[in-house]
Amino acid sequence: MFATIRDLFQARRKSNVVAKSRLQLVLVQDRAGLPNEELAQFRREMMEVIQKYFVIDESGFDVNYQRTDDATTLLINSPIIVRRESEKRDHEKEVEKEGQVSKKS
Amino acid sequence: MVEEITGEKASAALPKKGQAQVVVVTSGKGGVGKTTTTATLGAALALRGKRTLVIDADIGLRNLDVILGLENRIVYNLVDVARETCKPTQATIKSKKSNNLYLLPASQTDDKDVIGEEDMRKVLAFFKREFHFILVDSPAGIEQGFRNACAGADRAVVVTTPEVSAIRDADRVIGLLNSKGVEPMLLINRLDPDLVRKGDMISITDVQDILGVELLGVVERDDTIIIAANNGEPVVYNSKSKAGQSFDRIAGRLSGENIPLEHLAPKSIWHRLARRLGA
Repeated sequence: MFATIRDLFQARRKSNVVAKSRLQLVLVQDRAGLPNEELAQFRREMMEVIQKYFVIDESGFDVNYQRTDDATTLLINSPIIVRRESEKRDHEKEVEKEGQVSKKS
Repeated sequence: MVEEITGEKASAALPKKGQAQVVVVTSGKGGVGKTTTTATLGAALALRGKRTLVIDADIGLRNLDVILGLENRIVYNLVDVARETCKPTQATIKSKKSNNLYLLPASQTDDKDVIGEEDMRKVLAFFKREFHFILVDSPAGIEQGFRNACAGADRAVVVTTPEVSAIRDADRVIGLLNSKGVEPMLLINRLDPDLVRKGDMISITDVQDILGVELLGVVERDDTIIIAANNGEPVVYNSKSKAGQSFDRIAGRLSGENIPLEHLAPKSIWHRLARRLGA
């Protein structure tokens, strides 16, 4: 009963509006002409490039298209893992050590 | 044996040799009503006095014969005609309900890729002399069977339902048709105006917006379609069927008549009230 009343007052996002916007996104992908395998490869390469400079959460990495009225944007979402200062220093030390080792050999 | 067929216009004079219009009925996605559309439009065109051949291009999974109630009369099929194991006219079956409607069934035992696009063009070239309209029922998908069905087609009826998956596949098919130079026209099937009004179904304008293709017509979700399929008699023979009337208007538009799109209003409040009360 309360749910029904709540539904009445809450402006529920109509499912046909959701369907239309989902469709538009899917069609942008379909029409962009980038086949699935290529998109997967692009995703991998993109991830590698970003990983050269940042530590990222791979599970949250996401490539998508966003459509506004007059333009289509490539949207790359890459959550960055921010390490604490101390961790970073430890990591740098390790890298230095490794560097020394490699110099010796 | 010439049966008296009520309500059917006599066949008009045949067009000039090789002038039949070839229309492929396709969708990409399966189960949206391609075969029903082919059968019903074929029957509607025949009622309007157009000599019409419907070809089942879904080799291996034929169904157009069943929808037309002609499954017991099949002797030869499309593959036989393509391989020239029979004369083309031996393979066509006249409808029980119409003197203007003929079926060329698919083979049930062959693979989809047993014939190619050239075979299809050859078959069409022969029948183009005999008919005003040739409707080709395409298999689902976009592989060889689809390519065969499109070979030699002038125009295409792209059937979709107001659902995300069906519209997506329709878009894909429209792209392919454009690249083949086949003009696509849209048929929205199984629309429910009540659901659209509630905001729970994609509307006609939204489908048009998304696909950007000329709208040939809209058919509402209608139980009479199911009954028609059960009986093997296309729904246009049921004068009370709303879907049948829609298909008849679509057939008119297909043959060049200027018939405006009907206004598909949600059912009246009394109708809805009656339904809620279980009437």
